[in-house]
Amino acid sequence: MTAKEFIKKVLFIEILKGLALTLKHLFSPAVTRQYPAERREPFPGSRGLHALVIDEYTGKAKCVGCGLCAAMCPSQCIYIYTSEDEDHKKIVNRYEIEVLRCVYCALCVEACPFGAVALTEHYEYSDYSRDVFYYTKERLLENWNKYMAGQKGKEYFEKFWRPKSEDFRNSKEPHAS
Amino acid sequence: MENLKDNLDNGLKDSLPIATKELTLNMGPQHPATHGVLRLVLELDGETIVKCTPYIGYLHRGIEKLSEHRNYFQIIPLTDRLDYIASMSNNIGYCVAVEKLFGIEVTERSQFIRTIAAEMSRILSHLLWLGTHALDIGAMTVFLYCFREREKLLDLFERLCGARLTVSYTRVGGVKNDVTAEWLEDLYAFTGEFPMRVEQYETLIDQNRIWLRRTKGIGVISAEDAINWGLSGPTLRGSGVPYDVRKFMPYAAYDKVKWEVPTGKNGDVYDRYRVRMEEFRQSNLIIRQCIEKIPSGPIMADAPKFILPPKDKVLNDMEHLIHHFVLITKGPQTAPEGEIYVATEAPKGELGFYIVSDGTGKPYRMRIRTPSFVHISALPKFSEGSLVADIVASIGSIDIVLGECDR
Ligand code: SF4
Ligand code: SF4
Repeated sequence: MTAKEFIKKVLFIEILKGLALTLKHLFSPAVTRQYPAERREPFPGSRGLHALVIDEYTGKAKCVGCGLCAAMCPSQCIYIYTSEDEDHKKIVNRYEIEVLRCVYCALCVEACPFGAVALTEHYEYSDYSRDVFYYTKERLLENWNKYMAGQKGKEYFEKFWRPKSEDFRNSKEPHAS
Repeated sequence: MENLKDNLDNGLKDSLPIATKELTLNMGPQHPATHGVLRLVLELDGETIVKCTPYIGYLHRGIEKLSEHRNYFQIIPLTDRLDYIASMSNNIGYCVAVEKLFGIEVTERSQFIRTIAAEMSRILSHLLWLGTHALDIGAMTVFLYCFREREKLLDLFERLCGARLTVSYTRVGGVKNDVTAEWLEDLYAFTGEFPMRVEQYETLIDQNRIWLRRTKGIGVISAEDAINWGLSGPTLRGSGVPYDVRKFMPYAAYDKVKWEVPTGKNGDVYDRYRVRMEEFRQSNLIIRQCIEKIPSGPIMADAPKFILPPKDKVLNDMEHLIHHFVLITKGPQTAPEGEIYVATEAPKGELGFYIVSDGTGKPYRMRIRTPSFVHISALPKFSEGSLVADIVASIGSIDIVLGECDR
């Protein structure tokens, strides 16, 4: 041990340096948030609770019940029940998402060819019973009105509904598979 | 009572003053310092560990088996849950493997975006490691400081892809969203101040005498042993072996940027700590270079057979719509048969995906070689003859995540 090292050791230099740093931080503004009082705004496109899109022209759900979202869902938590009406048109009787099993991957949004399902930015929906998390079609449509109505919903699909043609180098015709 | 009496009798017979017996200590699975649900059974002689046996499997979710029943797109969210601290690296590792199997060439811009994202995830993972490792050893402040920086990077992740932890960001053939100029600017600003932050962490613990006493000469593994045990990543480099998949088998844009592989010398806890601290700086450097060099262009590869067609085309064009339906319900139907193993460098070590394809839209078998699994198997080697308290330092220094180990 050299003399310099010895002096350093005796005088607790490295500890004092650390303490100086923490002392400095004592006077800098706090970075923590006091959660229930201070809420953090999620960024646009943040993946939260689901919503079924309402068509702004017809006022009805955009979903046609094709079932692609349910096929793509890796946790298989979307249930769709459809039937035929008198004109042989498909009607979606039930569209249900078991939110507790969802992993918020947004693959359903990517799979939907019609832009009929979306993930809103809403993330605070804890509750005391499991039934609440079984989202029915009505409640999913309600979510759209609540969290994505107007300009926000439009922007969502402009920005986050991918892939788009511009993402590809030269989007050739797909080869029939 | 009988036993004790026997022991005493035997002890008396051998004319020993006190009878000794090895003590078995159960550590975990709910021990805070085992970083998840790892259970260790320690056989102790006094305070010295005679034998350490790790028990794993408490977090087994059957990801490998699940993958056999999911098509190639659906597996991406599953890989998030391997090493959930660095889900981005797993996404990239998986996609690189599948792309190699399919023979897809990813666009230049995507390569750079992936490199940036992977290095961000490395910094995130190392920050969590540093915070918890220091906390285990008794340094509280570092933990809080690390989380301050983590928050900033996680916010950037959220802006990029909508999620902070389980990102599901990459796609087979590219990435989900393009990065914006603003995003890149904000990240650049972060990388500008980050080296100063790393220096702060070092001021706190690098020379601290308690830290040195707890880490120097603890959990030593020689270079030869480290290779024989199959270690990888910073744990291997701490023993002085400059092996890094990013250098040896470059993927993404790692061959287009300049950086170094930091190594240690002694292979103890302190050296592994030093290696990771240097990796902070190297990752930072890589991100900066990538932002400076990132080319413009598309983000999806030109491989229509394996990639979901563009949304605007799907709505207007029957052929695209049919193709879209087939891809989603059955997976890519023209996947080549064969098997492939592709390794990437995850923050914790070499992450490899071994995929056997039988030509259907799903993998016939997917085996994941995760670094944590291998590192835990070497834990008995690390803890041989050390004190009980030091096993906590050893576990911290090999940086394990049980989600990845149990899969
Ligand atoms: S976000 Fe993912 S897990 Fe949730 S419903 Fe959609 S596809 Fe399924
Ligand atoms: S939400 Fe979209 S993908 Fe799902 S059933 Fe409705 S239209 Fe089809």
